Amino acid sequence: MSEPQQVFRLRLTFAKQGRLAMLSHLEVARALERTVRRAGLPYAVSQGFSPHMLIAFGAALPVGVGGTHEIADVRLTHYVSADKALSALQEASVADLMVKDCRYIEPKAAAASVAFPVSTYRALLSCTPAVLPLPDEIHVVRKKKEKVLHPAEFLVGDFQLTGAVATFKLEAKPTGSLRPDLLLREAVDNYNLAASGEIVQGVTWVENAVAPEAMIAKKAERGLDLPCCDGDALRILNITRIAQE
Amino acid sequence: MIDLWPRLEPLLARVERPARYLDHEWGSTRKEGADFNYCMVYPDTYELGQPNQAVRILVNAVNATEHLAAERAFLPAVDLIDLMREEGVPMFSLESCAPLSEFDAIGITLPHELAATNVLEVLDLSGLPLRAVDRAQDDSIVLGGGPCVFNPEPYAPFFDAMLIGEGEESLPEALLCVRECRRAGATRQDILRSLAALPGCYVPSLYRVRDEEEAQRAGSWVEPVEPGVPERIEKRLFSGFSESSGWEPCIVPYTECVHDRLSVEVLRGCARGCRFCQAGMMYRPVRERSADNVVSSVLEGLADTGYDEVSLTSLSSTDHSQIADILTKLNHACDGKGVRISLPSQRLDSFGVDMAELVAGQKKGGLTFAPEAGTQRLRDVINKNVTEDDLFGAIDAAFKAGWRRCKLYFMIGLPTETDEDIKGIASLVQRAYDRAKAAVPPEHRGNVRVSASVALFVPKSQTPFQWDGQIPPEEALRRVNLLRNSVKYKAVDIHWHDPATSFVEAVMSRGGRQAADWVEAAWRRGARFDAWTELFLEDAWRRAASDVGIDPAEIAQAQWDTSRVMPWAHISTGVTTRYLALERKRAAAETTTPDCTFEKCTGCGACQALDCDNMLAGVRSTPSALAAAAGETAADVTPAQAALAAEVSAEVAAQAEVGDAPASEIAPAGAEAVGAPSSAAASPAAAEVLGNDSSAEAASDERPLPVSEGGAR
Repeated sequence: MSEPQQVFRLRLTFAKQGRLAMLSHLEVARALERTVRRAGLPYAVSQGFSPHMLIAFGAALPVGVGGTHEIADVRLTHYVSADKALSALQEASVADLMVKDCRYIEPKAAAASVAFPVSTYRALLSCTPAVLPLPDEIHVVRKKKEKVLHPAEFLVGDFQLTGAVATFKLEAKPTGSLRPDLLLREAVDNYNLAASGEIVQGVTWVENAVAPEAMIAKKAERGLDLPCCDGDALRILNITRIAQE
Repeated sequence: MIDLWPRLEPLLARVERPARYLDHEWGSTRKEGADFNYCMVYPDTYELGQPNQAVRILVNAVNATEHLAAERAFLPAVDLIDLMREEGVPMFSLESCAPLSEFDAIGITLPHELAATNVLEVLDLSGLPLRAVDRAQDDSIVLGGGPCVFNPEPYAPFFDAMLIGEGEESLPEALLCVRECRRAGATRQDILRSLAALPGCYVPSLYRVRDEEEAQRAGSWVEPVEPGVPERIEKRLFSGFSESSGWEPCIVPYTECVHDRLSVEVLRGCARGCRFCQAGMMYRPVRERSADNVVSSVLEGLADTGYDEVSLTSLSSTDHSQIADILTKLNHACDGKGVRISLPSQRLDSFGVDMAELVAGQKKGGLTFAPEAGTQRLRDVINKNVTEDDLFGAIDAAFKAGWRRCKLYFMIGLPTETDEDIKGIASLVQRAYDRAKAAVPPEHRGNVRVSASVALFVPKSQTPFQWDGQIPPEEALRRVNLLRNSVKYKAVDIHWHDPATSFVEAVMSRGGRQAADWVEAAWRRGARFDAWTELFLEDAWRRAASDVGIDPAEIAQAQWDTSRVMPWAHISTGVTTRYLALERKRAAAETTTPDCTFEKCTGCGACQALDCDNMLAGVRSTPSALAAAAGETAADVTPAQAALAAEVSAEVAAQAEVGDAPASEIAPAGAEAVGAPSSAAASPAAAEVLGNDSSAEAASDERPLPVSEGGAR
């Protein structure tokens, strides 16, 4: 496949938020492609058997995980000022899948999917747990084979728990990556097991940075940021990728 | 209206493909400032319903009407339905995420015969009583429409009113009627009476169902229970179709749908006259949009939606008089943009292949043709005006042009079919394979694939074969096995559909109002999503039959004379029952009928009844059509065929004479003729009646003429 010689690489940054966080990577990719077409940008087309738009996406987000700075690189056959491209794209975007920024990058720059291996995620929990038991091992089934992942190998820096907000960084490895929602779901499941009196093993306890005296609050006064009480299951309200580096 | 989103959202983390339930697509709108809310419901999942053109057209039509606002709803997939029932979340609309029961009216389209249990699933999940008679004063008005309402009876008890025919104008009219009534404080019963007075609107609860004997005597299975309610309901036609723009706002889904592309309807109706085909009778007359309209609609649609593929939809797009012009212009305009153009229906001749090649570009997947029957005799019976030469010409052209795969569609169990016809399918497919191989370079021969897909014939209401029974499923399997054993080539694959679902289709297509009881019993036994092979519960349908004491096999398989009054006699497509009976007679004589958009009027009655002619954008003529016409005149004419030819002329003459009369005045023609001797020619009867008092018009003209094979002609 030969590509057009003169290409401009436009890097789009967009948000995947609100209820559209429930889109799959494929659905987001298709939607963005259609946004580029609606915007009327002079996108380049592959020369193969079945011609398609030359557009590449950053690291995939799971269904249900949002992102504030998601990336797509589209190749253009003509130069259009980044400002003009941005306003055309915004006209053609829906609110919860909004293009936020456009800039040209070097034609040889690394692909968005590999240029930013470290993702920062922020999750909002239904209440404030005193501690969160992070699993030391996660068993996943991929292509019918069970695989054991060690979160410590993927975590960059500390897993932070501040009130009902969890913030953590995961690094994508050439051999695979750890899904943020999976890590968090296991941690929350462990918490709920522990809260119901079961002994939870093979975990690393992450302390809440917020002082634990507020842990005994009256039910009637409880809001989102208030401590979890007995009998209430901890839930994940949302997870968002807030940075890629 | 209540916003169910906060209750729905937590459930979506637990189901597959939540993108189906999110709304917020490009093009989704919520009309402000309306005081009457309508919800357009497709009784299957989003990925099947969202691409449906009727949903798009009708939502737009309602939103374009002052006071009215429309939203969409699709039946959730079973995983979400089950969760919703557990959690007590009712069925919701997409745009407002509001309960369906809060809408002033909901309209459920009936796209095919296997959607019946899903209608009940929709109503139940919405918390609405299943039957119209059980609904309370303030409950939403439940409307039905779509292809299946041409035999409305198996669905009738579940709907307050059913709109027969094209809904562009009739749906907003019906909704405005309900709105006016509500504002005036009318009772539900009065709302239904007002609806029944609208043209094309059938209100089942205002009719009493007759028994067999009475129905045959009266010429209709239903009788109005009060004055002012019409005995016969004629379909509505959108006569502004040709002039209307082929582009109108459309929603671009996130999740992958069955047809994930822009659709532009290039023409409506098909007059080829295949005798098994309901669509071919139902959408007459033929109306084309002009090439300029189509081309600008496609370009505007692509720019507004961002789609990379457009489908030029209709029942027979390659029959459009300007199709070559349209495709050439579109190719030119879309060059270098990675946009694909697709034609959904392939005409079976080399012209069809030429057109397919115009849009195929370098990527040539497979081509699909539908010869429908394996022998010329049977193709003549069904009026599939296609010869082996047409098929082989198409195959030669396709494989020379670079295609390597071809799929052929056939039906088994067609009226008059014998084992010879089944073996004929095997022979035709094998010879098609030989032709295909001969048409490609030797080094490509290994890539040639020809397959055949076989479906069981389903007798459809409002067609010349409506009186013909379906063969029993066991017999269908015997014939499939005969076919498989007759195919000697290993390279030829034979696929077939499960006859059990075709059996349900036949019952729904031919059944009367008692079939509704069967549907409800099947649904109570768990039947839903019957069109999904993996979810079809044959056993539920079988047990349901004994629950309600009906014999579905009798409904599906009974063979009737064309004099029999069928359960949909009170619904008219514009094509007269007399014409259907005549076509059935021609089928028996193996005589074909030409396409009136290529040749002369065949006298079906649609144009006269609906006061609308075929509206073509140009002259339809192709070499194959001309050749076919020449061949027909040269053929030997049997006495039976000559007699039929005379009858055709008489039919056309009759239609021509009443051509200028209002549709209602045609009605007495049939009624009079029934009383006449069986050999009475249609022409004098019609002429005579024109002078009559038109008070007779209420009588059912759709009563078929008694057809006597040994008539005096």
